[in-house]
Amino acid sequence: MLVQLLNGLVYGGLLYIVSVGLVLIFGLRRIVNFAHGSLFMIGAYVGFSVAALGGFWGALVVAVIVLALVGAALDIIVLRPLQREDPIVTVLVTFGILLVLEDFAQTIWGKDFLSMPVPSVFAGSISIFGESFPLYRLVVIAVAALVAAGLSIWLRVSRIGLYVRASSVDPMTTAMQGVNTDRVSLLVVSLGTALAGLSGTVSAPLLALSPSMGSYILIESFIVVVVGGLGSFSGAFLAAIAIGQVHNLGLVYVPWGATMIPFLLMVAVLIWRPTGVAGSHT
Amino acid sequence: MSARASIASNSTAAAAIAVVAIVAGAVGSLLIQSNLLMTLMTQAVISAILATGVGFLIRQNGAVSFGHAAFYGLACYSIALSPKLGLTSPEAAIVLALLLPPALAFLLGLVIVRIPGVAFSMLTLAVGQAFYEFAMKARHATGGEDGLAVNLPSTIFGVATNWFQRPQSMFVICWIVLVVTVFGLSVLVRQPFGRLTAAIRENEERARFIGYETVFPRALVFALSAFVVAVAGVLFTLYNTFVSPDVLHWTLSGSALIMAIIGGPKLIWGPALGAIILFFAKDIAGNVTEHWQGIIGLILIVVTVMLPIGIGGALARFGWGWRWRSKADA
Repeated sequence: MLVQLLNGLVYGGLLYIVSVGLVLIFGLRRIVNFAHGSLFMIGAYVGFSVAALGGFWGALVVAVIVLALVGAALDIIVLRPLQREDPIVTVLVTFGILLVLEDFAQTIWGKDFLSMPVPSVFAGSISIFGESFPLYRLVVIAVAALVAAGLSIWLRVSRIGLYVRASSVDPMTTAMQGVNTDRVSLLVVSLGTALAGLSGTVSAPLLALSPSMGSYILIESFIVVVVGGLGSFSGAFLAAIAIGQVHNLGLVYVPWGATMIPFLLMVAVLIWRPTGVAGSHT
Repeated sequence: MSARASIASNSTAAAAIAVVAIVAGAVGSLLIQSNLLMTLMTQAVISAILATGVGFLIRQNGAVSFGHAAFYGLACYSIALSPKLGLTSPEAAIVLALLLPPALAFLLGLVIVRIPGVAFSMLTLAVGQAFYEFAMKARHATGGEDGLAVNLPSTIFGVATNWFQRPQSMFVICWIVLVVTVFGLSVLVRQPFGRLTAAIRENEERARFIGYETVFPRALVFALSAFVVAVAGVLFTLYNTFVSPDVLHWTLSGSALIMAIIGGPKLIWGPALGAIILFFAKDIAGNVTEHWQGIIGLILIVVTVMLPIGIGGALARFGWGWRWRSKADA
């Protein structure tokens, strides 16, 4: 049972890192990045390739840097010029980017499934209350916890964090108070995509890598964001942890229906509270 | 000319165009000898009906759905699974396949049409994919990812079944359905219901203040677009006699959406045009490059940003601009 809860926490933690990136970008730009799952996928592939050459830590650093740069480019080339358009325009454009990135990954890494070995430092299992649990999965939980703690401290303590929180409540008023939202946005979008890269690399040893792996995580993280409330950091955290548990317990106890449970949960939450558990923007 | 008379004359003109289009399509198909081309055109027209349904939702509700494959696939699986559920008459199965998706869409619509803009797109994507996951998991019924063959009797509605499977005849059937659908929708949007939903699309709050109920009409539009998509699903199933979870996958919803956007969703016939253009472009590109997906992504970006009215809109504006201008002068 404990092992099951931990497994749910692994999945929930990964979902959290992906979803919070979506929330960060939504907060600043009021758009939903449909290419976010593809950035996760690119992160996994970059991690895979670099890990083969420079080890796991190198992979982690390179994937985060590469994806942060991609995010900066995304913000400057796509999101900034389109900020006055209807948000649906950006949805369609990022959907186009999704298709391009999948094609790109397919060209470079091929269509076949690839698998990345668990880094040797974290190979093996440890015993928790008499039950054995893979060490690497604990590392994933730790990474997610660090991201959550780091982000919430950063958002509460730093000046930029204050701007980000203000902007995610009301970007217009925040800009009128003299905050350069374009500059904040550049940083925040890069951070959001870097988190997609981080989660991609971290989850690569647990998943089969394929160019279409991004759409699955995209849909799951949409469920998280909608259930938690679009634009809410704490909502995304709670929803990711809850959906991780529900998903995993479902896999164990009702395997035929497990993939449906998050969807049903989402529909139920929306009927109950159309703006999500903690949201006000939907 | 009074507004009523103008609507009537517009509808007569539209009916005349529809008749001409049907005759032209039928005669045109007789002139084409290539079986391969006819196969391609039949598939293109089925996709055009699908795109018309997705585009109609954008035009009338201003809502972009990433999940219409759910209604398309539900129609396909309704026919495929009816015998297993004890519904032995294929005619009844087809009626079920046409009614179940819009009924479900209506109920779902009552919940999700309230949700604006981007969140609606996210939700339709998630809900649509739930159907796919279900078809993959319910292996004992659907055959999972292997799919299942559809057994049809020798005649359906008194028509020999092989008419639905020969490209030459099926093209004409699908073409007629497409033209009738486009005609029907263009008449509908000129009716009070069409005006009301357009008003709600432009400003939901004001429509509510004037005293209109705004959820119900939008749910109806959602159901109607699901109905059009279900028609495409039925034709696909009759033509292909094989159903797999691909018909429910979000990539199908995505490509229908791209067809609608590229063709121009502000026009009733725009999405159909987009579907046919993309179908042939894909076939030609397939011979040259393996990067169709990347190309279509770039086309989507360019059209969305530079040509939001779509190819159909551009044609209407430049090709027939003189007609509109002369009307405006009058």
